[in-house]
Amino acid sequence: MHEASIADGLLRTAISVCRDNGFSRIEIVRIRIGRASGVMPESLLFAFDALKAETIASESSLVIEEVPVAGYCNTCKRDFTVSGSFILCCPYCSSNSFTVKSGRELDIIEVEVGEDEVKDCLKDT
Amino acid sequence: MKLKIASKILDANERIAQDNKRVFSSMGVYVINLMSSPGAGKTSLLEMTINELDGRLKVGVIEGDITGTDDAARINALGIPVVQINTGSACHLDANMINEVLGDLPLNDLDIVFIENVGNLVCPAEFNVGEDIKTMVLSLPEGDDKPLKYPLMFQESDVLIINKIDLKPFLGVSIEKIKSDALSLNPSIRIFEVSCKTGEGIDEWAKWLHSTLKA
Ligand SMILES: Nc1nc2c(ncn2[C@@H]2O[C@H](COP(=O)(O)OP(=O)(O)OP(=O)(O)O)[C@@H](O)[C@H]2O)c(=O)[nH]1
Ligand SMILES: [Mg+2]
Ligand SMILES: [Zn+2]
Repeated sequence: MHEASIADGLLRTAISVCRDNGFSRIEIVRIRIGRASGVMPESLLFAFDALKAETIASESSLVIEEVPVAGYCNTCKRDFTVSGSFILCCPYCSSNSFTVKSGRELDIIEVEVGEDEVKDCLKDT
Repeated sequence: MKLKIASKILDANERIAQDNKRVFSSMGVYVINLMSSPGAGKTSLLEMTINELDGRLKVGVIEGDITGTDDAARINALGIPVVQINTGSACHLDANMINEVLGDLPLNDLDIVFIENVGNLVCPAEFNVGEDIKTMVLSLPEGDDKPLKYPLMFQESDVLIINKIDLKPFLGVSIEKIKSDALSLNPSIRIFEVSCKTGEGIDEWAKWLHSTLKA
């Protein structure tokens, strides 16, 4: 599955953003995944945990916000969400004329970073 | 502390895909990303299409397979320029893999490049590679429930080619159901019905390619 290549890209982005800002440790990576994106959160978490070892993200956790598939019906002019991964028709009026509003997201939102702890014996010297 | 990023996870792939697209269009090459599950008939469709076009459009092919060079050998046998990409473990082609072989095809002499993606009905739909259109092949033996089981592929494709229609008498599948489900997922999808065994329908598809490239 390509969740591995997505996890790899995600880690690379997070690590370079962290370094570019002068930090040395990643604590949390927050992402948003639409239910119609084709990406399985469980597989992505698994791949992320496997790949993060021996990087500055080795102690980090991946936090995934899932976004439902939502649409707007051009016939009855209502917003709606569906529970599955795609829209066949408007759940109110069964119209086939709708606009997909969300569900395809695959976004990195933010990383929480920190400094490596300075050893006690080096403090105040 | 929190660092805001707000970027698409596939941004890097998307940037390279745009680069590829610029290269192709600067050379006047139309690019079709051809996708299907394993064995639906992508390579057979390429062979039939190449024969039908009969040199009136200059064709090049990029073959993506996890391993092996069988498909490239089939295209090479027709005297068509072809590059084989082996993806190793990856279940799809990405823009960078295409970028690396751009110099291996005589793009200046070509009108159209087909990129045969790795046989897989899921992942290739998510990765743009710099194509003008995505075309998917669904073969009848796969069943008429596929549009609703693999919606993303049908939503992302510009063209659906229903292949192996010569097998219809032996199968309890409804071409009408495939078409209506595909159209409800993607009202603008263009559908062709073909057999790469009998050649039925290949002329219409080739005619459509001619008119699309002229437009
Ligand atoms: N009966 C029948 N068989 C077909 C047709 N098209 C292809 N085949 C057969 O289906 C098998 C697979 O065809 P390929 O063209 O190799 O399929 P593919 O999609 O390129 O396969 P991969 O590259 O391995 O994913 C071959 O044995 C073809 O001869 C068709 O229209 N009718
Ligand atoms: Mg093939
Ligand atoms: Zn409605």
